Amino acid sequence: MNIDDWKSQIKRGTLEYCILLLIKHRSYYGYEIIEELSKYPIITAKESTIYPLLRRLLKEEYLTSFWQESTEGLPPRKYYTITEKGSVYLECMSNEWENLVNAITILKGE
Amino acid sequence: MDNLLENYLSVIEKNLKPLPISERVDIIKEIKSYIIELGKQDGLSPEEIIEKLGDPKELAKEYLGNMICNDSSFKWSKMRAVLAFYGTTGLSGMFVLPIFTVMAGGFMFCGIIAPIAGLIKAGGYLIGIDVPFVSFKIGSYSLHPLLQLPATLGLGALLYWAGKGSWKIVLKYVNTISNKKRKLDAYIP
Repeated sequence: MNIDDWKSQIKRGTLEYCILLLIKHRSYYGYEIIEELSKYPIITAKESTIYPLLRRLLKEEYLTSFWQESTEGLPPRKYYTITEKGSVYLECMSNEWENLVNAITILKGE
Repeated sequence: MDNLLENYLSVIEKNLKPLPISERVDIIKEIKSYIIELGKQDGLSPEEIIEKLGDPKELAKEYLGNMICNDSSFKWSKMRAVLAFYGTTGLSGMFVLPIFTVMAGGFMFCGIIAPIAGLIKAGGYLIGIDVPFVSFKIGSYSLHPLLQLPATLGLGALLYWAGKGSWKIVLKYVNTISNKKRKLDAYIP
C-alpha cells in the first residue's frame, strides 16, 4: 500500500487550486501562504514547491505581484494578487472540482 | 545576514544561471525575505532554516523545471536549462537501460540453460552416450560429465542471480526517472 504516493499526487494536482482559492480573498505573501497551507497536512507543501509554483502562476498571468516595505525592521515582502484571468481560471477549476466531488459521492453509493 | 545563509543563497543563485538576471534577482530577493522572516517571526536558527528549505540545488531546479515547461519560445538560455535538467538523466539512460536490460535477459537465460545442458550431459553419460555438443571446458581442460551437473547448477545459479540483479537495477532506474518526470509533469499546464 502506498498511500503517501497517492497523497502527494493529490497535493500536486490540487495545490494551485488551493493557492488561488486562498489568494482570491486578499493579497498574500509567500510566508503567509506556506503558513496557511501548513494548517492542513494534505496540502502542506515545501518552499521548493510553493515558490516556483507561484512564479509559474505569475507567468501565466493568473496572479500579479508587488513588493511592499514592511515595518519593524522586517524585510520587504512580495505580495500576490489574483488577476481577472486568474478568477476565470479559478471558476473553471471550481466547476471541475464540483464534478469530481459529485462523481465520488455517487461512486461511494452512500 | 548570517554567513551560512548568504552562502545558501549564493548556491541557489549559481544554479539559476540559465534564467535572465532580472528574474534571478527577484527570486533571490524573495527567498531572502522569506529566510529573514523565518528567523524573526519563527525564531529559527540559520541551521534550522537551511534544513527546512532543503537542498539549494533542488530548489533552483524546481524554478528551472518550471521555466522549461512553460515557455515555448526558443532561447539559448532555455536550451542550456533543458540540457542541465535532462543532461544527467538522458545521458545515463543511454547507457544504463540498454546495458543492464541486455545483461538481465542474457544472464537469466544462460542461468536457466546451463543446468539444463549439464543435466543432458550427465544423463547422456549415464545411459552411455557422450552428447557431443555439450561440454564444460575451462581452457583445454574438460570436466568429467557427471561433475558437470553440479558445476552447471552452481554456475547457473550465479548467472541467474547476476541477471536478477541487473534487472533490479533497471527497475530502480526507471522508477527514479519516472518519479522525476512526474514531478516535472506537475508543472505542465
